[in-house]
Amino acid sequence: MNDLELAVGLLRDTPTHENRTGEQLRSWAQTALEYGDELAEGPDVETIHVIEREGGVRKGEVLLAEHQRGTVIVYTDALRRTEEVARSRGWSVTRESLRRAAVAHEVAHHRLDVRELNRRLGHTAARLGPFRLRGHVAGADEIAAHRFAHRRSGLAVSPLLLTAALAGRD
Amino acid sequence: MGIAILILMAIGVVLMLTRILPTAFALALLALGIAVISGAPLTGGKESILTGVLQNGAVTLAATMIAVLLGSWLGSLLDQTGIGGTLVRKIVEFGGERPAVVALGVFAVSILCGSITGSAPAAMLAGVVGIPAMIAVGLRPVAAAGTVLMGISAGSPLELPVWQFMSDALGAPVSEVRTVMIRLFPIALVVGIAYVLVQTRRGARHAWAVQLDRPKARIRRGDAPWYALATPLVPIVLALGLTVPIVPSLLAGVIYALLTTTKWGDLNERALRSLYKGFEVAAPPIALFVAIGMLLAAVKLPGAKTALTPIVSAISPAAPIWFVVVFAALVPLCLFRGPLNVFGLGAGVAGVLVTGGIYPMTAVVGLMASYNQVFGVSDPTSTQTVWAAQYAGVRPERSMLSTLPFTWVVGLGGMVLTAVLYL
Ligand SMILES: [Zn+2]
Repeated sequence: MNDLELAVGLLRDTPTHENRTGEQLRSWAQTALEYGDELAEGPDVETIHVIEREGGVRKGEVLLAEHQRGTVIVYTDALRRTEEVARSRGWSVTRESLRRAAVAHEVAHHRLDVRELNRRLGHTAARLGPFRLRGHVAGADEIAAHRFAHRRSGLAVSPLLLTAALAGRD
Repeated sequence: MGIAILILMAIGVVLMLTRILPTAFALALLALGIAVISGAPLTGGKESILTGVLQNGAVTLAATMIAVLLGSWLGSLLDQTGIGGTLVRKIVEFGGERPAVVALGVFAVSILCGSITGSAPAAMLAGVVGIPAMIAVGLRPVAAAGTVLMGISAGSPLELPVWQFMSDALGAPVSEVRTVMIRLFPIALVVGIAYVLVQTRRGARHAWAVQLDRPKARIRRGDAPWYALATPLVPIVLALGLTVPIVPSLLAGVIYALLTTTKWGDLNERALRSLYKGFEVAAPPIALFVAIGMLLAAVKLPGAKTALTPIVSAISPAAPIWFVVVFAALVPLCLFRGPLNVFGLGAGVAGVLVTGGIYPMTAVVGLMASYNQVFGVSDPTSTQTVWAAQYAGVRPERSMLSTLPFTWVVGLGGMVLTAVLYL
């Protein structure tokens, strides 16, 4: 599966998109991936503080990294789990590139502008005569962050594919 | 004899806690046991075991059962017509850039769902789309589950079947129950909003998180038209604003939902299908209400009344301040199917408080309603908490820890209110 299909799958699994057409989701996924590419071309300006911790593998959730008050927390047990899943599928993924991807994913969230992304996605939530109210597309920021992380980390497989594999959706 | 009844009640609590017996069966057996201990005759008039406890007790809460059934019918309709899902979807579309707005919106939808129907069906109505939607915009799973639970509980002072239950169980007129509930609602609302704001104060959780074994419970439903989205308001506006009785208020909601969402040709089928689904959803509470009715009949038997009243009156504080302190401290007893669980043994305790004349009726309504606010959100064994927590991917006990400090405050607020107004 290519990234576009995986991104469509991610949107499809995000609540609120149950009734959207495949065509609509495909176009949003494409826009979000392009936004991720564009962000990855920009220079790195901020310095990020990264700490490592155990405790990302939980009941019902695998948390690889999260972003809290300017600090990125990378969960080492979740990285190990991801590495195992990747190895079982025959993908060569190094721990270091995985860690870089996890950090980059959070940098992307920090950097991306949800309003700007929504403007590009152009979803209209409500219309009253000539007035249009822009709507939020849940999950699109996640797609952009995955693409950004892929570009920055040099991972052999796409984070979208890893995510799908972890969730058992691949 | 009073002590023997208390020991029997303690055994009943242990049986429920350890899940050896389902709550409804345990309460029915408890009713029989109390009747036997208090020396009620097997046959005979209204104070006999067969007629008084089993026959009349079983139908004591009949009006409540119908109200619960209608609430469940309306809940099923909100689900099947896509009204519930559409409300949440609109909230995410309008507020998705700010997680706090989405959470407050889902909280508001949960209040509406909680005012229609209770426990797990209400949580599902708001949570099936609402919980993953909140997680998708950056709420922590435990906060997403807690937001839905706090919402349905804030809606429960407005839940018409609950009014009917308090009225039937304690023999209070619906108008008095309504007065207590309207005053409790703002407390639950304000504390609920505080919960949501505290949980979203740190902003969105930006993460690379993978949700595992997501239940495929989300069925695709069409969008409901905007005017249909007012359905949850119909019963409460009628009952509260126009003092229409409970059953017609709920029926009006059902009819409004059907007419605004369904084509003429499909009306019969949808109405029947959602009604039968409503029966299924209402089965557990109705079984419970049959048993609670028997328990209430048993504790009101003359023998039980004379045995229990001195004991309960000795341990029930008279001064308003001690009323608040003691009953607020006893809050944990309404959790884990404990003796103050309003939809369990607590109903029997309330019955003793009323029939023994220990507190005025309105004060008992206030007390029970206060416990209901805690129980409805935080009890890790109640179906709505279990469902919401597991659906969000967290343990119900974690959900309890997250919400209990807030619901305890609501309970305390309700008790202060009760003491000030009615003692
Ligand atoms: Zn992310």
